[in-house]
Amino acid sequence: MRIGSYQLKIEKRFSLTSWQAASISIVAVIVALILFSFIFIFAGINPLVAYREIFSYSFANPFGLPLTINRFIFLLLVTFAFIIPYRAGLWNIGMTGQLYAGALSAYAVLYVLGIKATTEMHLSPAIIIPLMLIASSLGGAFLGSIAGFLKGRFNVNEIVVTMMLNFITFWLVSFMIKEGGVFMNPGGRGESFELPPSLHAPLILNIPFTIFIALGAAVLLYYMFAKTKIGYQIRAYGENPAAASYAGISKIKIPLLVFIMGGILAGLSGYHYFAAVPGVYKIARNYGFFGDLAFYGIICGLISQGNPIAAIPVALLFGGLSVGGRFVQGKLGMSFGVDYALLGVLMITLVAFQFFYRYKIVWVKISKESLDVGIPH
Amino acid sequence: MVIKESKLGETVLEARSITKRFPGVVANDKIDFEIKAGEIHAILGENGAGKTTLMKILFGEYQPDEGEIYIAGKPVKFRSCLDAIDLGIGMVHQHRKLVPAHSVIENIILGHPRAGKILNMNRAEDEIIELCNKYGFSIDLKAKVWQLSEGEKQVVEILKALYRGAEVLILDEPTSALAPTETEKLLDSIQAMAKDDLAIVPFITHKLPIVLKISDRVTVLRRGKVVSTIDTENATERSLAIEMVGREVIFRIEKTKVEKGKTILEVEDLSAISDKGLLALNGVSFSIREGEIFGIAGIAGNGQQELVEVLAGLRDAEGGKVLLDGKNITHSSSLDRWQSGIGYIPSDRIHVGSISDFSLVENTTMNYYFDDDYYRQGALDYSKIRKLTEDIIAEYGVSTPGPDTTAKSLSGGNLQKLILARVLSRNPRLVIAHLPTQGLDIGATEFVRNKLIEAKKEKAGILLISEDLDEVLSLSDWVAPIYEGKFMEIIPGDDCTRENVGAMCAGIYLDEDQP
Repeated sequence: MRIGSYQLKIEKRFSLTSWQAASISIVAVIVALILFSFIFIFAGINPLVAYREIFSYSFANPFGLPLTINRFIFLLLVTFAFIIPYRAGLWNIGMTGQLYAGALSAYAVLYVLGIKATTEMHLSPAIIIPLMLIASSLGGAFLGSIAGFLKGRFNVNEIVVTMMLNFITFWLVSFMIKEGGVFMNPGGRGESFELPPSLHAPLILNIPFTIFIALGAAVLLYYMFAKTKIGYQIRAYGENPAAASYAGISKIKIPLLVFIMGGILAGLSGYHYFAAVPGVYKIARNYGFFGDLAFYGIICGLISQGNPIAAIPVALLFGGLSVGGRFVQGKLGMSFGVDYALLGVLMITLVAFQFFYRYKIVWVKISKESLDVGIPH
Repeated sequence: MVIKESKLGETVLEARSITKRFPGVVANDKIDFEIKAGEIHAILGENGAGKTTLMKILFGEYQPDEGEIYIAGKPVKFRSCLDAIDLGIGMVHQHRKLVPAHSVIENIILGHPRAGKILNMNRAEDEIIELCNKYGFSIDLKAKVWQLSEGEKQVVEILKALYRGAEVLILDEPTSALAPTETEKLLDSIQAMAKDDLAIVPFITHKLPIVLKISDRVTVLRRGKVVSTIDTENATERSLAIEMVGREVIFRIEKTKVEKGKTILEVEDLSAISDKGLLALNGVSFSIREGEIFGIAGIAGNGQQELVEVLAGLRDAEGGKVLLDGKNITHSSSLDRWQSGIGYIPSDRIHVGSISDFSLVENTTMNYYFDDDYYRQGALDYSKIRKLTEDIIAEYGVSTPGPDTTAKSLSGGNLQKLILARVLSRNPRLVIAHLPTQGLDIGATEFVRNKLIEAKKEKAGILLISEDLDEVLSLSDWVAPIYEGKFMEIIPGDDCTRENVGAMCAGIYLDEDQP
């Protein structure tokens, strides 16, 4: 494009600071909201009203805000489950299965302790809750380790393995909680037995304590990647496996380790949603919904470029918009799926804007001579 | 096509006052350059002198910031390589750009304007065979590219450019990956092209003997500027070398005598299987003592890569034993070997020896992340590693803006200096140097060799694997020509001649050496 003696040109970026990356993402979010406002306009709704409803419900409403925060914790944990293998150049598509495994393991602790049949407990919640946390971590880690082991030892594609394990665990959950399953609710409503109130995860200001696990993980992971030996090994393997092997970094150990770490965090997200979010406290009939939601961990991880700190605002935004989108759909009488459409548009725009991570558009002054080309003297 | 009409001796391609800047460097600074029909015009320069940038500008891959290009006297502007190709310019890159799974003929016709419409393989085959006969190329058109040697792949690239109608053929480091016999053949073909068909061949290299042997004129670049353009008959190896590096370079290094100490490495009857499942290393035995350089000479693909990888712990030994300081390390991990004092300088410095997107500090960390001295409170002591990196940059004269730039911004020679410095700074007992000077300019080559000699003086044992006969002969205390996975002989460094070692690398014993 040419205006006067200036021309628009696409240039390759040689470096990108984290501030530049952040501002590109913010612009992308604004562009996505502008694009989505056409949907509201076509539905005969003033987009400004719609957005005010969305944001005020998800971030300033006494009913909406806790929903947003619970989604945020969940998304942040699954984002980390994606990010850790991602930094090693591996794709964890199995957060869904890992969180199911985590939830099942947590409930298995209760089942073994006989808490399904009776609310009488021989152990104090101060012991049982940590046991549940450990169990859900181990459950997620176990499922993750299958993909990590197969990748490291036999170079089996980790995407295929994690994806297949998602299907297996989905039906395993169904087998456990539906007709005749060992975790079946005595009322037989296609869901698991409920947690006794004393085992509900402690709330701080009405927020489950799992938020500290999620935020603590953000800090720890950031430190791990930036400073520690293991973080260095993971990054080196992710950037160039051949060079990592040359430097003595085990190509068997690293995939296994990142999938175990990712699995732990995904397992904890299973604990979070099925044992810590107020009003749930069971493996719900619609557990598949949370499994699907876990896929947003991939998007959040990609947008934050594998940076655990940057993942916090991204997960908060996606959590809030998924809650607010569902709300305006009901409130403004729109058709089903507004929340998914909104997240979809946001996702596509953010991914499209990654172009600007690698290129920039600049105005260049055209030199006199080349303007004269083609003009006869 | 404009060029076809030009007569022998007329200027066909001319670049005037070409300037190209990259962030922080001027890669080409007001370069004037011309090629005449029928001429072989060599471009000579150290790594980072701006040769590749100039070639990419002539081929339309880069657009110059300033300056013009003329073809047969008419100004042209290349928006991309396609424009250049359409005007009859062909380029053979240093790094091959072929489809390995396709056959030779399929690769040659790929991208040809006619191939998009109706594929007439028979006609294409006839035309390509005609080209081959004309210039003396012999190649099986039905073979798959992955089956070919480097030299044959190069022929495919040249044929591809010619078949597309190239009249100016740009060859980037054409002989760097070739065996000596392949080089001879290639040079003959290049001369045939230049003589018969007005094909014009700028020839980029830093191999001086080749420049002298084949080119008509030579342009010397240094730090992005043209130092001189002279007729080759007026140049000597020495004069060109001085112009290229700007100072006298010692070609021969006097062999340093160091008192030999204890045995460091013992290898007994070692064998290994290659990636293709063949027995690539077939029972070699040798030992290296303190203060000794053991040189393995040979043409690539005779088991050197497998030997090096087995010694570095990156490949399982099929049979035999490796002892380091008397300890059996045949099956220990590569990390164990780093920690017990093996320092390995790999041949592929870009994909194995360094991590392109990591900073120089992080690249130095590759050899230090396991070192307890570089830990503080459970984390890596990056400030200490940064200090070390700064020291390396200063001591080795790595030219870079600073330790936080990425490794991919370094030129080949500077990257090799960094890798060498990083490995040698650990004061290894045994240094494995695989093709340590491949692709480097004279200045960097000399530097690397001197550093290896310094390590030798400090009682390290050095295993040098090189395809450069002069390098092996001038540095090594022992020379072992390797052929098809076996040592032909192990000869004391002082007793061998270029001829007998060269013959053994090719698998034959000269009469007087017959055992």
